[in-house]
Amino acid sequence: MDELMEILEEICPDVDFESETALVDDKLLSSFDILSIISEISDAFDITLTPAEIIPENFNSADAMWNMINQLRN
Amino acid sequence: MSLISNLFVLFVAAAVVLYYLTPKKYRWICLLVFSYLYYLSGNARYLFFLLFSTAVTYLCALQIDRMQQNGSGQKSMKRVAALGLAGNLGMLGLVKYTNFFVDNLNRIFHMNMKGLEVLLPLGISFFTFQSSGYLLDVYWKRTRAQRNPFRYALFVSFFPQLLQGPIGNYKRLAGQLYEGHEFSWEHISAGLRRIILGFCKKMIIADWAGVFADAIWGDLDRYNGAAFFGLLFYGIQLYGDFSGAMDVVIGIGNLFGITMDENFRRPYLAKSMAEFWERWHITLGEWMKNYVFYPISLSKWMTRFSRWSRQKFGRKTGRVVPIALADLIVFFFVGIWHGASWKYVVYGLMNGGIIAFSELMAGQYRNWKKALHISGKENWYQLFAIVRTFILVNLRWFFDRSDSLGQGMYMVKQAFTHFQPAQILSIPAGTGGTAFVPWALLIIGAGCAVMVTAGIVQERGGRLQERMSCLPVPVTAGIYLLLLVCIGLFGSTAAPRGFIYAQF
Repeated sequence: MDELMEILEEICPDVDFESETALVDDKLLSSFDILSIISEISDAFDITLTPAEIIPENFNSADAMWNMINQLRN
Repeated sequence: MSLISNLFVLFVAAAVVLYYLTPKKYRWICLLVFSYLYYLSGNARYLFFLLFSTAVTYLCALQIDRMQQNGSGQKSMKRVAALGLAGNLGMLGLVKYTNFFVDNLNRIFHMNMKGLEVLLPLGISFFTFQSSGYLLDVYWKRTRAQRNPFRYALFVSFFPQLLQGPIGNYKRLAGQLYEGHEFSWEHISAGLRRIILGFCKKMIIADWAGVFADAIWGDLDRYNGAAFFGLLFYGIQLYGDFSGAMDVVIGIGNLFGITMDENFRRPYLAKSMAEFWERWHITLGEWMKNYVFYPISLSKWMTRFSRWSRQKFGRKTGRVVPIALADLIVFFFVGIWHGASWKYVVYGLMNGGIIAFSELMAGQYRNWKKALHISGKENWYQLFAIVRTFILVNLRWFFDRSDSLGQGMYMVKQAFTHFQPAQILSIPAGTGGTAFVPWALLIIGAGCAVMVTAGIVQERGGRLQERMSCLPVPVTAGIYLLLLVCIGLFGSTAAPRGFIYAQF
């Protein structure tokens, strides 16, 4: 989780990933941000994402992203 | 059948009455019958295209759903999805872009090939996108396939949105279409209010602005010093026209108890070009993002390019370069979606180029702001960002409105080198002639002032619609009656104009 938080804070330093739970719904993350995050987490956690995974539920919070990463790893 | 015609008002009234008279279970059938009647009233010869799009995506989605249940391999499902998309979007490509390719081949190779002699079928750019989105949603398991072909046909053809959108999402729209809604005065009242507002935007603001924009673009030699104003009038016309049409469409949906996706959210108050596309023609932007931008960015060849890019340009910039390339590809498609012409290619690439450049420079901008102690939340900075985006957005309209790329370039040149605003006073303002010009300008100005004020209030969290619905019924009725009178008194007296986006 720490590694994910580092990635998120490096890509979007102005966003509070600790407490935000509607990152996509409240438009705090742009589509460029989402793809940058995907690019980094794909390398860092050795996972492959498809368009099917890009739904707001998977990117609305750091926890949701972490859950998605764990599901894709298993 | 134009949205602005007595016949259409009668058509909608008949559909609403029959909808609520039909037993709840069968109300969706009433919507289907009226949707096909509406399409047939446009041009029955083009029914084939609507039926083909519906049939191809229905059958392919059903097959993919069956394969998913049987545990078939991903490759087989991918083939079926590709077949459905090729059939559906191939049909769109054939009727919309064949003549563009033939014209260009003729020019390059000095040939004399003949193009297709077919008019663009009504609403084809909207219903093919809506049905393709559904097919991909089934493929990506975001929704199950609809088994009833008639119910699915209603999703593709629902008449208020058939010609101009909004491009519906199956998960959000379909259930509402199939559910028999209870009659409610609240829905009827909300729908009527929205429809009247839409007519005001279209018939008072857009059509008057259109009188001036059309005159300037119609006689460039005579009004060559008014290019800047032509651009401003066109920006007002396009917003009033398209967002007014969406108000009418969404309002008609409300009459049936259906809530469609919003297509506009005060776009001229956007603070960046990327944000503009989250506020203007929202459903097209969402469609492009979900079904083109993400799939291209996550494709194998783009992943390989991304690795190369990071090695070449470093981690941060290298990460953004492939996304910027995907963005340019998406906006190339956004451009040609608007029409088969090089001016639309330039229009699309201008959008994509500005967004890609902003993203590539994002880190640098952050550093500059930090060095200048600008947080970005200051009022003056927000206003600066809005004005900057407004100027950039409007510059692109030169190419959207002009008949050709060359004419667009000519208008850009005129706007910056030749400024004679007095020329607009010699434009005949409808049946009132040139004597009515000051009044017409006053009507446009007042209309814009109302729209901007309402926009700012809504932007700050004010809920105007909810406040209106809390007022006593006679007061609300009086206000909207007054708006109807305003349409009669102040509506454009020039030749009636159709909706711009109904031509797509």
